Amino acid sequence: MQLTQKNIKNNNLLININKLNVFFNTPEGLLHVVKDVNFNVKKGTCLGVVGESGSGKTQTFFSITGLLAKNGYAEGEANFKNYNLITCDDKIRRGFLGKSIGFIFQDPMTSLTPHLKIGDQLAEIAIYHKKITKSEALQRAAEVMDVVKLPNNRDIINSYPHELSGGMKQRVMIAISLMCEPDLIIADEPTTALDVTTQAEILSIFNDLKNNLNIGLVLISHNIGVIAETSNQVLVMKNGQILENGNTHEVLTKPKNDYTKHLLSCIPPWIKN
Amino acid sequence: MIKFITKRILIAIPTLLIIIAFSFSMMRVAPGGPFTNERALPPEIEKNINAAYNLDKPVYEQFYIYMKNITRGDFGPSFKYKDFSVKELILNGLPVSVTLGLSAIIISLFLGSLLGIIAAINRNTIFDYSVMGVSLVGICVPSFVMAPLLSLFFSLYMGILPTSGWNNGNILNLILPITALSLPQIAIISRMMRASTIEVLNSNFIRTAKSKGLNESYIIRKHVIRASILPIVEYLAPASAGLMTGSIIIEQIFGLPGIGRYFVVGALQRDYTLVSGVLILYASLLILLILITDIVRAILDPRVKI
Repeated sequence: MQLTQKNIKNNNLLININKLNVFFNTPEGLLHVVKDVNFNVKKGTCLGVVGESGSGKTQTFFSITGLLAKNGYAEGEANFKNYNLITCDDKIRRGFLGKSIGFIFQDPMTSLTPHLKIGDQLAEIAIYHKKITKSEALQRAAEVMDVVKLPNNRDIINSYPHELSGGMKQRVMIAISLMCEPDLIIADEPTTALDVTTQAEILSIFNDLKNNLNIGLVLISHNIGVIAETSNQVLVMKNGQILENGNTHEVLTKPKNDYTKHLLSCIPPWIKN
Repeated sequence: MIKFITKRILIAIPTLLIIIAFSFSMMRVAPGGPFTNERALPPEIEKNINAAYNLDKPVYEQFYIYMKNITRGDFGPSFKYKDFSVKELILNGLPVSVTLGLSAIIISLFLGSLLGIIAAINRNTIFDYSVMGVSLVGICVPSFVMAPLLSLFFSLYMGILPTSGWNNGNILNLILPITALSLPQIAIISRMMRASTIEVLNSNFIRTAKSKGLNESYIIRKHVIRASILPIVEYLAPASAGLMTGSIIIEQIFGLPGIGRYFVVGALQRDYTLVSGVLILYASLLILLILITDIVRAILDPRVKI
């Protein structure tokens, strides 16, 4: 595994979100789904984002990566490598996407192009961003497949998405996001569609990425258990606002906000520890 | 693959047999016969004609004779076009109809999908609205209105294209009939393509492709088209079978010697052998095209196993 360890001090700021707002134009009028959100993500740490459905946690990160639906738009700052990702040119944002920022989606079953081989879907991102040849890209693909613990990677490279299981597809998604050695990976409910065993395996891969590769990780989930296991810092969101932002251990043991207390009370006491 | 094709051809044989038997019996059940006129024929003559065409024998025996001839490639004499066998009629007309139909389907596939994709990418813009508006007109205006309008404009007013005739397949003679055949198909295909492209563009795997930072034209080429063209492939088999066996309206308006008219005229005149002949042709073409469709579909979508 030859991922270059970027020589950056720990606790180094990776992305800074400042007064971010997201709106949607709907037939019923303007919808304000993310309201004045501020937070930071540091290298080698994991930021957990929890909240119920519709709390704006996904749209926050879609707005940063330019994946908002056509009727949506964002205002504010998302400072990443001297650029504001909200206002910068589409071309500049696309240059970061896939290369410096990896995105992993909720539903691995439908997130891979059904008519392209896994190898092509892994290789294309490196061919596109790093201008390398296909054989070099496939070699790189074999490396990242080792990182995400995909077995028999020759076979997998030549298979189509429908021939893989859900857990394998999610590993492929993670492998895709790792192809260009990103600084930041945003994982939007990466384990929601998977069974508990696979979930644990995927989370251990995330822990490895954070600790060994010094990647900044954003883990969006509605499952506090998942957040507790992986993240250093946690954001609690509701109705597009951040209710609580702090060290995971502190938030989970001494919640200040009523909603966080409420969320924590949903966990059965015998699991809590 | 070879196993699949052999299997499908073997299934085609009983299918064709059923179609032939069905058309044979339907024609016999229909009142009247090929030699029924307003003025009845003298009984002796009618008897002779019936004997000459084996119409005096019981129906099952007629069917047996007909099937025996078909296996030898003989579709029998036409009852109405004297001195022509059904095979001659079809072989003379088929090249005309296939030339027109095939050109029309290729043009409409190309233009229709192109317009549909561009409309889908620029949806709810002026381009989208104009393509969809024009294509709605293309679907609604029937070919017997469109074809004379085309001749009126291009042949009579502008005088640049001939109004009618085959002229041994001269390209100038083909432009108007091919255009008239293509327009409704372009309209249908562009609307289908727009709808399926929009669906694909909204799918999760396109979101993944966008999150890879790929540019839009690359995403369209590599990730969208192969998925969005599938419904068109399904539509093409029946559409091209219909176009290649000719359209009576277009062939009549442009005076083309295709086989489209035999479908209508043959049935109206109770020309038993001609109707069966064109029906066998149409059915075999359709079976062949559906087979090709299935193969193309399996190539485009690896989830389809054949």
